[in-house]
Amino acid sequence: MKFSEITENIKIAFEAMRVNKLRSLLASLGVVIGISFVILMGWVLSGLDQALEDTFNIIGTDMLYIDKWDWAGGRNWKKIRQRKDITYDQATEFCEKIKNAELAIPNAREFGYKIKYKNEEFQGMSFIGTRWEHSMTPAGSTYIGRHFTQFEDDIGSNVIVLGYKVHQALLNEGDPLGQYVKIEGRKFLVIGVIKKQGTMLFDFVDNQCFMPIKAFQSVFGRSGRSVSVAIKAGSINSLDEVRAESEGLMRQIRNIKPGEENDFSINETKAFESTVEVLRLSVWSVGIGMTVLSFLVGIIGIMNIMFVSVTERTKEIGIRKAVGAKKRTIWMQFIIEAAILSFIGAVIAFIGCSVFVYLIATLLPKFVPETAFLSPILPYELLLIASFVSIFVGMLAGLVPAVRAANLDPVEALRREN
Amino acid sequence: MINTEEKNNGNTIIEIEHIAKIYQMGTEFVHAIRDITLKIYKNDYLAIMGPSGSGKSTLMNIIGCLDTPTKGKYLFKDMDVSEMTDNDLASIRNKEIGFVFQTFNLLARSSSLKNVELPLIYAGISKSVRDEMAMKALENVGLSDRVNHKPNELSGGQRQRVAVARALVTEPSIILADEPTGNLDTKTGLEIMNLFNELWKAGNTIILVTHEEEVANFAKRIIKLRDGLIENDSINHQQ
Ligand SMILES: Nc1ncnc2c1ncn2[C@@H]1O[C@H](COP(=O)(O)OP(=O)(O)OP(=O)(O)O)[C@@H](O)[C@H]1O
Ligand SMILES: [Mg+2]
Repeated sequence: MKFSEITENIKIAFEAMRVNKLRSLLASLGVVIGISFVILMGWVLSGLDQALEDTFNIIGTDMLYIDKWDWAGGRNWKKIRQRKDITYDQATEFCEKIKNAELAIPNAREFGYKIKYKNEEFQGMSFIGTRWEHSMTPAGSTYIGRHFTQFEDDIGSNVIVLGYKVHQALLNEGDPLGQYVKIEGRKFLVIGVIKKQGTMLFDFVDNQCFMPIKAFQSVFGRSGRSVSVAIKAGSINSLDEVRAESEGLMRQIRNIKPGEENDFSINETKAFESTVEVLRLSVWSVGIGMTVLSFLVGIIGIMNIMFVSVTERTKEIGIRKAVGAKKRTIWMQFIIEAAILSFIGAVIAFIGCSVFVYLIATLLPKFVPETAFLSPILPYELLLIASFVSIFVGMLAGLVPAVRAANLDPVEALRREN
Repeated sequence: MINTEEKNNGNTIIEIEHIAKIYQMGTEFVHAIRDITLKIYKNDYLAIMGPSGSGKSTLMNIIGCLDTPTKGKYLFKDMDVSEMTDNDLASIRNKEIGFVFQTFNLLARSSSLKNVELPLIYAGISKSVRDEMAMKALENVGLSDRVNHKPNELSGGQRQRVAVARALVTEPSIILADEPTGNLDTKTGLEIMNLFNELWKAGNTIILVTHEEEVANFAKRIIKLRDGLIENDSINHQQ
């Protein structure tokens, strides 16, 4: 009984809308805009989430980075700058002594130097001297060729693994393997290219080139920079344990007295969560106000059209009541009509947004590279959310008109002319 | 002369005792019905007559459970209507009562078949059974060839026959017709009255409101209303 009532009411609703196509379309305009906001907000937020996840995957959620610098940055910048460098020897000592970590390797970084290949020259990348175990961290996987071996590492071979963008810039996608590049007048053999990893939050990684730390030192010198240590805990569960051991060990190596502050930072992926949180919050605060506003307009639009519909169809309501329609049935008829009206708005919004999102995500990053995190396809969860929200909004808007229709006195209603 | 107690009680469909319907218009009270007591029996064929404003439609609406009296008692098949909820009333209208109106009151955008099916939808009957029942009802009023026509594609008489089919389709205990020939010419009106006559002969109970003597003469009992009171309730000897 209930089911046939619902299907019947859906038919009636479509019939009513077919008669008043343009009016129905205009009525749902507010919902179209409101749902569009919901969809676009969801799209940007899910893009941010994806960017965050990608970043985690590069950095590794089980990775710790001991550094003079703090990723969260900002607040104590002056104090951090005054910290003493972490020397190569301190970093090496740390890597030798740590017990609970699966892996610990020093990373020395230099930037501001040029790399040359034939007549091409590229600047703006950084060189990183590291150990062969770097190939076992998420940031070290190659998509062309290979990383350097333990042997090459031990003897300090002049071999280099290029970052994705460096490869692009120098060789324009040409085969890099076996080619020689020049850094500070020294020849390096290209043995591999690191996978493309850059994300909005972490875009410099594609501009890094890796070489054995001994080779690095023979080019750039042994001292004069702060060396960081990359630590792979092995699993997220052992992160706390490894963090505690690392802190104690580094304090000991750097001779920090009890009660004194650390003069180094232990960085991890959590630092990025707060950055994303700020972005997420700003998207919300801009979007939510406009969404609420447009839904308000949408509700008023649909409510208004539903009142018109009830007035126009008073006679029809009278007839239906005279042949046995219950209040609940009439009520449902108008609630369903309002819900469908609103849902159609959501469908229009979804189609419109799909086109918009596809165009933006494919075209905009060409001009604004920071927007590359946006996906050209809307997540299907958004379709579900938009449907539910629109149906809810429609029912809300239809509530008062539907109650009015249900409570019409049948005798009065039948007396109407139309 | 007054047709009452000679009928046995098992055949009583409607029992109305001292009902009144009072409308308030601002500070004024309009007594549409003052005090009416009436019994209607199975297979009755009753015509209600009276001048305009005498309360005929109001009485019909009360009998048809579209409206409720301000005062008095109304028993429909021994059930007290004044104690019923809106849902109960809708249910009675759906199953027990078939309305025919002066202005046909068909859904303008729906076909004859859809119009006739309407009460069956609210009775929760499945589509296939509905179709069958509605087709049969349309056949009974001689419209099997107008099933897919919309009201504006039908003549007045045909529209009224669709309305009669709609009233019949649930096999109600009683058919109420408020001036069913009021919008029809004499010839078409006669056709409709012949249809009612057949329905009555088939065992239906019919109450109709009319201004016209010729129409009233089809009935076997005639009630005359004046100012919300029954002026006369008599067997129609011309029948
Ligand atoms: N909703 C209402 N509000 C106020 N007065 C009403 C209402 N409905 C009916 N009346 C009054 O009740 C009286 C009876 O009306 P009713 O419609 O029953 O008359 P009727 O006998 O059917 O007349 P007609 O032959 O013209 O159809 C009239 O005086 C009318 O004005
Ligand atoms: Mg009347």
